[in-house]
Amino acid sequence: MSKRGLLGDPTGHSDDHSLGSVDLSVNLGGLQMRNPVTVASGTFGNGKQYAEFFSLDRLGAITTKGVSLEPWIGNDNPRIAETASGMLNSIGLQNPGVETFISEDLSWLTNQDVPVIVNVSGHSASEYLAVIERLEAVETIAAYELNISCPNIDCGGMSFGTDHQAAFSVTQLCRQKTGRPLIVKLTPNVTDIGEIAKAVEAAGANAISLINTVLGMAIDSRRRKPVLARKVGGLSGPAIKPIALRMVYEVHQQVQIPLLGMGGICSAEDAIEFMLAGATAVAIGTANFTNPYSAPAVVDGLREYCAEQGISRITELTGALQ
Amino acid sequence: MVNAEVTYRACDSEYNRLELGSDAGGPKQEIGIVIDNGFMAQTIAKIRLSAPYIAQNTRPGQFVHLRLPGLEAHILRRPFSVYAADARNGEIQLLYQTVGLGTEHLSTLPNGTHVDLIGPIGRGWQPPRDAKRVLLVGGGLGVAPLYSLASTFTTETEVHLVMGAQSADRLICWKPFSTYITEPCLHITTDDGSAGQHCFTTKAVKDLLEIGAFDYIATCGPEPMQKSVAALAAEHQTFCEVSLERRMACGIGACLSCVVNTTSGLQRACVDGPVFNAQEVIW
Ligand SMILES: Cc1cc2nc3c(=O)[nH]c(=O)nc-3n(C[C@H](O)[C@H](O)[C@H](O)COP(=O)(O)OP(=O)(O)OC[C@H]3O[C@@H](n4cnc5c(N)ncnc54)[C@H](O)[C@@H]3O)c2cc1C
Ligand SMILES: Cc1cc2nc3c(=O)[nH]c(=O)nc-3n(C[C@H](O)[C@H](O)[C@H](O)COP(=O)(O)O)c2cc1C
Ligand code: FES
Repeated sequence: MSKRGLLGDPTGHSDDHSLGSVDLSVNLGGLQMRNPVTVASGTFGNGKQYAEFFSLDRLGAITTKGVSLEPWIGNDNPRIAETASGMLNSIGLQNPGVETFISEDLSWLTNQDVPVIVNVSGHSASEYLAVIERLEAVETIAAYELNISCPNIDCGGMSFGTDHQAAFSVTQLCRQKTGRPLIVKLTPNVTDIGEIAKAVEAAGANAISLINTVLGMAIDSRRRKPVLARKVGGLSGPAIKPIALRMVYEVHQQVQIPLLGMGGICSAEDAIEFMLAGATAVAIGTANFTNPYSAPAVVDGLREYCAEQGISRITELTGALQ
Repeated sequence: MVNAEVTYRACDSEYNRLELGSDAGGPKQEIGIVIDNGFMAQTIAKIRLSAPYIAQNTRPGQFVHLRLPGLEAHILRRPFSVYAADARNGEIQLLYQTVGLGTEHLSTLPNGTHVDLIGPIGRGWQPPRDAKRVLLVGGGLGVAPLYSLASTFTTETEVHLVMGAQSADRLICWKPFSTYITEPCLHITTDDGSAGQHCFTTKAVKDLLEIGAFDYIATCGPEPMQKSVAALAAEHQTFCEVSLERRMACGIGACLSCVVNTTSGLQRACVDGPVFNAQEVIW
C-alpha cells in the first residue's frame, strides 16, 4: 500500500539516521522546543484524543484549548460550517474553567514529555490575571499563550486584540504576574497588525503567535438563514494561509521577538513558507481534523527538507526570504 | 404489511451478526478500498468498502469519519454510520443519502478507489442484556445504524421495527431486516401512504406501545421524530436510546463542534454519543 500503511501511522516516524544530523530545535522566547511544531489552541483537545494516533513527544510543544476562570458553555449548534478550503467555527471557547482544567486535563498532559503551552482567555483583564495566578501554582507549565481575541466586557465587548492600548495593558498586567514565557496571540481582524504587535512587544511579551481565525459568515441560500447559530464565526484552514503569511511577514519586520506562525498549515512546505516569512515556530490547527497525523507529518517533512537542502539548523530558515 | 407493487432493489443480507461489547479497538485511520458502490433508490446509495480493522472492531451504532477522495479542498470529513460489517471478509457497508456535494461525490466513486477512514468511532447502542421485547424505530436513513443492532438479538428476543419514509420509493432496505425480524414485527409507514401504513412513524410507535410493553426502544432519524419517540418511551417508562447527528470536524472528541445538551452537561456526539440515553438528552 504505497507509502501510507494500511493502518496506523502513515507518516512512518522516521528514525532515519541519515537525517539525524539536522538540528530542528528552536527557542521561542524562552520556550525551548525540540522541533518548531506545535498545535493550534482549540484544535487538539487536551491532547489525549490525538495520543491515540501518535506519541505527543514527537512535537515541539502542545498548546491546550483556551481556558478561562469560570466554566464557559460556548455557543449553540450548529457551531461549524465547511467553506471553500476552510471552515467556520463558533465554538465560543467552551471549557470547564481553570480548576477542572488543571485537575482533569493538565495532570495528564504534563506527563507526556512535551512542553505544554496553556492558552488563556478572559472577558476582562482581571479574568486573564486570575487564570494566570492560578496556573502559576502548577509547576509543569512551560509557557502561556494569551488569546486576546476575546471580547472585552469592560470595553463594550470589543476584542482586546483590536485595540493597541487594550492589548498593551492586558499583556503588561499578565507580564507582571509571571516569569514564564508569555506568548500573545493576535487576531487578524484589525487594520494594522504591526501596531498591535509592537504594543504587546513593548508590554513585555516574549513571543507573538498569529493568526487567530478570520471573522466570516456562511449563508444557506435555500433556508435564507445563516449556517451558524451564532451567525458569524472564525474562518480557519488553507483558505486563510495567504492572509496569515502576509501578517507574519509584516510583523516580523516590525518586532524583535520571535513569532509562532499559524493559519492553514497542512504540510511541511506550508510550515517552511511561514518560517521564511519570519516565524520561528509553527502551529497546526484545522489540518488536525482532516488528518490526525498532520502535525508529526510536518515534523518529518521539515527534517527531510533540511536534509535535502543541506540545512544543519532549522533556525537558519527564519526570515530567510530572499 | 408492505405494498407488494413496490419493487425494491436487493440488499445483500447475511452479514455477520455484530457483537455488542466494549472490548473492541478504538478509532484508527484506515485506508478503505471501494468494492461496490451504487444507488438503491433515488438519492439513496450503498457503498461497500474493504476496511479490515474497522470491520473487526465496529459495534452497532458506531460510525466512520470519511475523507472525500479527490475533493481535498473540502477539508472536513463526513460521518456515516456503519450499516453492516463483516469481520471475516474485512468489509463494511455504509448506506447514504445524497444531500450535498460530499455525498453526491461519494456516489461517483468507482470500485478500487482508496478512501481515508477513521473508525470505528463513538458509543454504540447499549440494549439491556435481558431484553425480551425491543422496538427499533428508523426514520429515513435512520435505519442505517439499526440494522447491525437488529443482528445482535437472539431468537429469545422479540424484535419489532418501525421503519418510516416519505414515500415507497424511498423506503429501502427493509428486506435485510427480515433476516432478523419476522414479518408481523415489521411495521412500515409512509407519509404519503404509498406503502405500509399511511402515517408518521411516531403514530405507529404510539399504537405499538399501547398494545404491549417493550424493554428497550432504539431510534435514529430526524431529530423531531427521535424527540417524539423519546417522549412516548418516557410516558411508557421504557428505556430508550437515540442516535443524534451533529456537524463534526475532528470526529474524535477534540474540537467540541458536535455538542449535545444533556442532564450531565454538554456531551460530544462523536465520542460520548452518537447514541445517548433518551432521558438524558435535553431537547
Ligand atoms: C454520527 C453520524 C452518523 C451519520 N450516518 C449517516 C448515514 O449512515 N447515512 C447518511 O446518509 N448520512 C449519515 N449522516 C449524515 C451525513 O454525515 C451527512 O449527510 C453528510 O455529512 C452530508 O455531506 P454533504 O457534503 O453531502 O452535504 P453538505 O450539506 O454539502 O455538507 C456540508 C457540511 O455539513 C455537514 N453536514 C451536512 N448535513 C449533516 C448531517 N445531517 N449531519 C452531520 N453533518 C452534516 C457535512 O459533513 C459538511 O461538513 C450521519 C451523521 C452523523 C453525525
Ligand atoms: C475549532 C477551533 C477552535 C479554536 N479554539 C481556539 C481557542 O480556544 N483559543 C485560541 O486562541 N484559538 C482558537 N482557535 C484558533 C486556532 O488556534 C488557530 O489560530 C486558527 O484556527 C488558525 O489556524 P489553522 O488555520 O491552522 O486552524 C480555534 C480554531 C478552531 C478551528
Ligand atoms: S467532532 Fe470534534 S469533538 Fe466531536
